[in-house]
Amino acid sequence: MMKKILLLLITSFISVAAIAQDFPYGEADLQLLEMKKYDKDTSAHAVVLNEYGSSRIIVNNLDHIRLAFQYHTKIKFFDNKDFERDGTIEIPIYNGDDMVYEEVTDIQGITYYKDDNGSLQKTELDPKKIFREKQDKHWTLLKFAMPALRPGCVIEVKYRLESPYFRNFHSWRFQSEIPKMYSEYEAYIPGFWNFNASLRGFLKLTTNKAEIERACFTFHGANADCSHMTYGIKDIPAFVEEDYMTSPKNFLAGIYFELIEETDFNTGAKIKYSKEWKDIDYDLKSAFWFGGQLKRKDLMKEKVAPAIVGKTDSMEKAKAVYTFIQKSFKWNEDNDIGSVDGIRKAFDNHTGNAAEINIALIAALNSVNIPTEAVLLSTRAHGNINTLYPGISDFNYVIAKANIGGKSYLLDATDPLMPFGSLPMRCLNDKGRVFSLDKPSYWIDLSATKQRENTTFTYDLTLQDNGKLKGTITRYSSGYSGYLMRKEIKKFNSVDEYVENMTGKFHKIKVLKSNIVNIDSLDMPLGETYEVEIDAFDNLNHDRLSFDPFILNKIVTNPFKMSERDYPVDWGMPSDIRYVLTMHLPKQYTIENPPQNIAFSMPNKGGKFLMEFQNDDNTFVFSHITQFNKSVYGSEEYPYLKELYNKIILSEKNELVFKKKS
Amino acid sequence: MKRILTILILLIQVSVTFAQKNYDVALISKDLLPYASAVTRDEEVTIEVKDLDNVIYHVKRAITVLNKNGDDIVNLNVYYDKITSIKYIKGYIYNEFGKVEKKISERDFEDYAVTDGFSLFLDDRAKHYIKATTQYPYTVEFEYEIKTRQSLNFHTWQPNPHTGLAVENSTYTFMCKPDFNIKYKANNIPGPVSIGSTKDGLKTYTWQVQNLKAVKREAYSPNEDTYLSSVRIAPEKFIYEGISGSFTNWQQLGKWQYDKLLMNRWSIPVETADHIREITANITDPKLKAKKIYEYMQQKTHYISVQIGIGGYQPFLASDVDKLNYGDCKALVNYTHSLLKLANIDSWYCLVEAGRAHKVSLISDFASMNQFDHAILCIPFKNDTTWLECTNQQIPFGYLGDFTDDRTVLACTPEGGKLLHTPKYTTEENLEKRKAEFNISENGELTGNMETVFKGTEYENRNQIIEEAQTERIKDIKRYYPINNLDISRLDYRQDKNVMPTTFETIKLSAHEYAAITGGKLYFSLNSVNRAGSAPPMVRNRVNPVLINRGYTEEDEITYTLPNGYKPDSEPLNVTIEKPFGKFTTTVSVNGNHLIYKRKLQLKDGTYSKDIYQELVDFYQSVTDADNYNMTLVKN
Repeated sequence: MMKKILLLLITSFISVAAIAQDFPYGEADLQLLEMKKYDKDTSAHAVVLNEYGSSRIIVNNLDHIRLAFQYHTKIKFFDNKDFERDGTIEIPIYNGDDMVYEEVTDIQGITYYKDDNGSLQKTELDPKKIFREKQDKHWTLLKFAMPALRPGCVIEVKYRLESPYFRNFHSWRFQSEIPKMYSEYEAYIPGFWNFNASLRGFLKLTTNKAEIERACFTFHGANADCSHMTYGIKDIPAFVEEDYMTSPKNFLAGIYFELIEETDFNTGAKIKYSKEWKDIDYDLKSAFWFGGQLKRKDLMKEKVAPAIVGKTDSMEKAKAVYTFIQKSFKWNEDNDIGSVDGIRKAFDNHTGNAAEINIALIAALNSVNIPTEAVLLSTRAHGNINTLYPGISDFNYVIAKANIGGKSYLLDATDPLMPFGSLPMRCLNDKGRVFSLDKPSYWIDLSATKQRENTTFTYDLTLQDNGKLKGTITRYSSGYSGYLMRKEIKKFNSVDEYVENMTGKFHKIKVLKSNIVNIDSLDMPLGETYEVEIDAFDNLNHDRLSFDPFILNKIVTNPFKMSERDYPVDWGMPSDIRYVLTMHLPKQYTIENPPQNIAFSMPNKGGKFLMEFQNDDNTFVFSHITQFNKSVYGSEEYPYLKELYNKIILSEKNELVFKKKS
Repeated sequence: MKRILTILILLIQVSVTFAQKNYDVALISKDLLPYASAVTRDEEVTIEVKDLDNVIYHVKRAITVLNKNGDDIVNLNVYYDKITSIKYIKGYIYNEFGKVEKKISERDFEDYAVTDGFSLFLDDRAKHYIKATTQYPYTVEFEYEIKTRQSLNFHTWQPNPHTGLAVENSTYTFMCKPDFNIKYKANNIPGPVSIGSTKDGLKTYTWQVQNLKAVKREAYSPNEDTYLSSVRIAPEKFIYEGISGSFTNWQQLGKWQYDKLLMNRWSIPVETADHIREITANITDPKLKAKKIYEYMQQKTHYISVQIGIGGYQPFLASDVDKLNYGDCKALVNYTHSLLKLANIDSWYCLVEAGRAHKVSLISDFASMNQFDHAILCIPFKNDTTWLECTNQQIPFGYLGDFTDDRTVLACTPEGGKLLHTPKYTTEENLEKRKAEFNISENGELTGNMETVFKGTEYENRNQIIEEAQTERIKDIKRYYPINNLDISRLDYRQDKNVMPTTFETIKLSAHEYAAITGGKLYFSLNSVNRAGSAPPMVRNRVNPVLINRGYTEEDEITYTLPNGYKPDSEPLNVTIEKPFGKFTTTVSVNGNHLIYKRKLQLKDGTYSKDIYQELVDFYQSVTDADNYNMTLVKN
C-alpha cells in the first residue's frame, strides 16, 4: 500500500516537473498565423517555433524501470512545400523479445489556421487516423498526417514514449532540414546511473544548465538524487546537404549519451559500463556475439583446410582463405558489430551480416597461423565516431586486420569482387578500433588508407588516308578502380554483352576487336584493349583539320558550383587518372598549334593537373594527368579544388589543328 | 497459437509431392541463353474460382539462375492482405545438376509491410524470400497457394515480366464453374486458348508459352504490353469486399463504380458550402466558376496516399477531406466533384493509368478494374471538355501535363462508364524557346541576358526550381546550364497559368574564363545553354519498333558580341537534317562583330519501324556533335 502511494507521488511529481519546463500546449496565437516569413531565413518554407523534449529514468506503475521520453513541437508552415515531410509525423518504436517493448502514449496534435473567413480555427488530430505499421519483427512505425494543413498554418504535436531500454538514454537532434527558433532538451538522470553526454556538430549550446534534484528516484527502498541537465540552442539554422559529403549525422547538431556506470540498488556496488578501453576489451572478449565467435578457430580450421592445401607461404595462405570466405558467404546487406546466431549457423546458411562474415574470416586466418585482429568501425552513412569517451555504441561494422610479414592488411570479405587488402567505400570512414583476444585495443585511421583509384588510358592512333583514325585504346584500372570496373562488367551476363553495351555508347568509335584481361584476378589491374576505328574526318581533302584530343571523358562542367562550402569534400580515397595519346599523322600533315605544357598544383601537394606535348615529325605524344592526393578536403581547401577543375576545363577546351605542309 | 500450429502441420503433410522435372542446367537450350540471367524452367499458374468469394491461386514455378543478375528475378514476394491469405508456401533449391540441395519452408520467409514509397499507409503485407547463394547456376522451385475472398481482380499472367528472363515452359489455367462467365485478353501468346473441363465439371481455359527468349531492354520501346506475353481475365459476376456486381463492358463497370463506390460520398459541411457559394456568387461563366472552385481546392488540400481495404477503389468521404485537408487522388477528385456540384457544375470522376514514360490507354474492348492507378476529373462543358488534375497544388486549371495526357480513360457517370480521351500536347505545342544576347570579352569573360519560354508539356520543366527560395534557385539552375564559372545575378520566373500554360525564365549571367585563351586565340563553346547530351546507344538486332512518345520543339538563338579585333577562325557550322521523325538545323552567321548562333530541334511523336532506329541514333549524334562545336577566334 505504502509503495503504491509513493509511486503515485512520484508520477505526479514528474508531471509537474515536466510541465514546469515545457512550453504550454494548445495555445493558439493569431500573430503566429499571420507571420509571413522567418526573418532569420527568408527562404524557409517552414520553421520550428519551439521544440522541447525531456527524458527521465522512472519507475512506472508496474514497478518497472523505464525511460520516459516526452516530445513536444510547434511548427509554422509558410507555404505547402514541406507539408509532406514535416506535416507527417513518424515515431519508430522497438518491440524486443520476451514481451518487452516500447510504448507511445498521449499522442496529441492540433493544427491552427485561419479559416475561409479569416477567423482562427483549431483542428485536433483524430486518434483513429494514427496508423500502426509493423515493419518487421522488431520495428513498428506509428504514422500520422496532421489534419487541416494549409499555407500559413501552425501545427503542434506532443507525445510520450516509454522505453524499457533506459540504458540507451534518448539522444536529441537539435538540427533538421528546417530552421528552429528554439530547441531544448532536459535530461533527468538518477544517481544510480552515470552517463557521458557529448555534443556533436558545429553549433554551440545557448542554454546549458546542470542542477541537482533531491530524492527524485526511489526503487524498492533505494533513493537517489537526479542530475537535471538542460541543453538548449537558439536560432538553429536549417541543415543543407552538400555533394560529396559523408553522413550528415557528422555535422548535425545533437546531443548523445553513453552509459558509464550503474549502481546496484541492493548492494551499492558499481557496475561499470565501459569506462575504460580495457573494460570494453574484456566485455567484447567475453561476449558470445563477438569474442565468443572470434574464438572459433577450430570450426574455421576445418572449413578452410581444403582451400589452403599445398600452400606454405603466409601471403598465399591468407589470400586463399580470404577468397574462400568471399565465396562461402553472401552478405545479407546488414551492418553489424556482432553475430546474431553464431558464425557456424551463418556459415551453414551461406549468408550473414558483415560481422559474421568478417569474424569468420578473422577466425579462419588465425586458425592457419596468420595473426589477425578485428577492427570495429562506423560506416560512412553511419557517421563518425565519438572518440572522447571509450564506448562501442558508435560502431556498426567489423573488418579484419591481418598481419603478414610485418605489414598489415585491412580486409572485408562481404564483396566477392573486392581485392585482398582493399576496403569498400562504406568502410573508409574516420577511425577504427582494433580488438584481439590477447592484446589491448587501439585506434587506427581509416580515412587515409593506402587505397587509391588509378586509371590509365593509352591511345595509339594513326590517321588514315580516308580520314579515319585506326589503332588501339587500352584502359588499365587498378586499385579501387579495378574493383569498380569489375562490378560494372559483372552487371552483364557475359563479357561480350558488356563490350556490346559499352561500344553501343560510342557512336564514332567502331570496335573491331576487344580483349579484357584479369577479370577474375582481383589483385591485378583490369586491362581492356580495344582495336578501334574512329570516324574523325570525312576525308583528308582539307588544308586544316581540327582535332579534339580529349576523345573520351572530357570534363566540361565543374562539379563544384558553389562559391563556398560549409562541410568537407570527402571522396574516400585519392585518385589518379592518366591519358597518353600517341598519334601518327600522314606525311603531309604537321601540327599548327603545338600546345604548351601545363602544370597546375593545389597547395600542400593536394592535387595536380599536368599536360605534356611532345612532337617528333609526324608523330606526337600528348598526355595529361589528373591527381587528387587526399581523401578528404576541408572546406578551406574548397576554392583550390574548384579552381583546379576550372583549369582542367579550360585546358581541355583547346583543339589541335593539323595543317597540310606547304 | 497452438491451433494455428496444427493447421500448418496438416498443410505440410497433405502437400502433394512435386511432379519431378529434371532441372539439370545442361538441359537448357542454347537458344535461350543470350541476354538471359535466369530461365523459367517450368511454371504452372492455376486460378480456381470456387465461389465468388473464394478464389484459389496455385502457383508452382522453377527458375534457374545463371548468374548474380538473376538473383533478383528469383526472389519471391507473395502478397496478402485482409481478404487474401497464404495457405502454404514452400520450395526446393537445386544445384547445377538438378539435385536437391535444400528444402525451403514457410519459416524461411520474412514477413514485412509493403511500402510503395509514397503512401502514408498501405495495409498490404508480403512474405519475402531471398536466396542466399554463392554458387551459380542454381534452381529454385516454389509452390504456394493463396486464397482470396474477392473475384473482381485476377492477377495478370505474365510469363516473362522481366528483362533477362527466358522461359522454357509456362502454363496458365483458369478454372471455374460453367456458369461463371469471363472475358479474356491475350497478348503475344502464340497459340489460341484451349477450353476444356475437369472431371468435377469445372470449365478450364489454358494458355501456354514455350521457349521464349530473354527480352533485352531497348531504348525508345513502346509500352511492354505490345511485346511481352500476358493474359488478362475479367469476371462477369463478382464480389469485392462484400459488394457484389456484374459487368461485361466499360459502361457497366463505370455504372457499378458510380452506384456502389461513389454515390452519396459528396456531402460538404455547411460552412465550406456557404463559402463556395459566396466566392462564386458573382461569377456567371460556369468555367470561371469551376476555376475559382478548383483553385480553392488547390490551396486548401494536399496529397497524401492512404490505401486501406476498399479504399483502394473507394474515395474518402468529401466531408473527411474537408476536415483533414488531405486525401489521395480519388479522395481529392471526389472532393472537387462535390464542391463543383454545389455550384451546379457536373463533373465526372475518371480513372486513368498515369505515367510519363508511356501513354497507356485503357483497353477499349476489355473492361477490368486493374487497368488504372490514378483518378482525374473531367468537366463536360459543352464543346469545351475540361480536365483537372486534383493532386497538385500548382498545376493550372485545365492542364494535365505529361502525367495523364493523350490516353483513353474511364469516366464514371450517372449513366455509366464512358471511355474518353485526354488532350494531346503536340510537337509544336511542346516548345522550349530561348533567346540570348551574350558578350565575350577579350579576357574570355561571358556576360549577358537570356530569356526562355516553356510551353505544352515543357511548361513544368522548371517547376521544382520555381518552388524553391531564390538562393536555392540560383544554386539549382546551374545544373541546367553547363557553363563553367557561371555566376547568376538575376533569375526570374513568371507563369501564365491557363489551359495551355507558359513558363518564362529570365536570367542575367556572367562567367569568367568562359573562353580559353592560348596562343592569342580564344576558344569557346557555341552552345552551353541547351545540349542534347549523348545519343541513344546503338543496338544489334533491334526487336521493337521505335516509339517517340511525345514530340517537342526546341529553338535557341544566341547573339554573341565578339571582342574588338577578333574574328572567327573555325569552319562555319551549318547543319540541316530532316528525317521522318524529326528535324534539326543549326547555323552560324557573322554580322560585323556579332556572331549569331541558331539551333532548332524537333522530334515528332509516333511509332516508327525498328529499322529507323540507327537513323535516330545518327540523328542524335549529329545533334550532339553540333552542340559540342567549339568556336575559335583569332585576332584580325
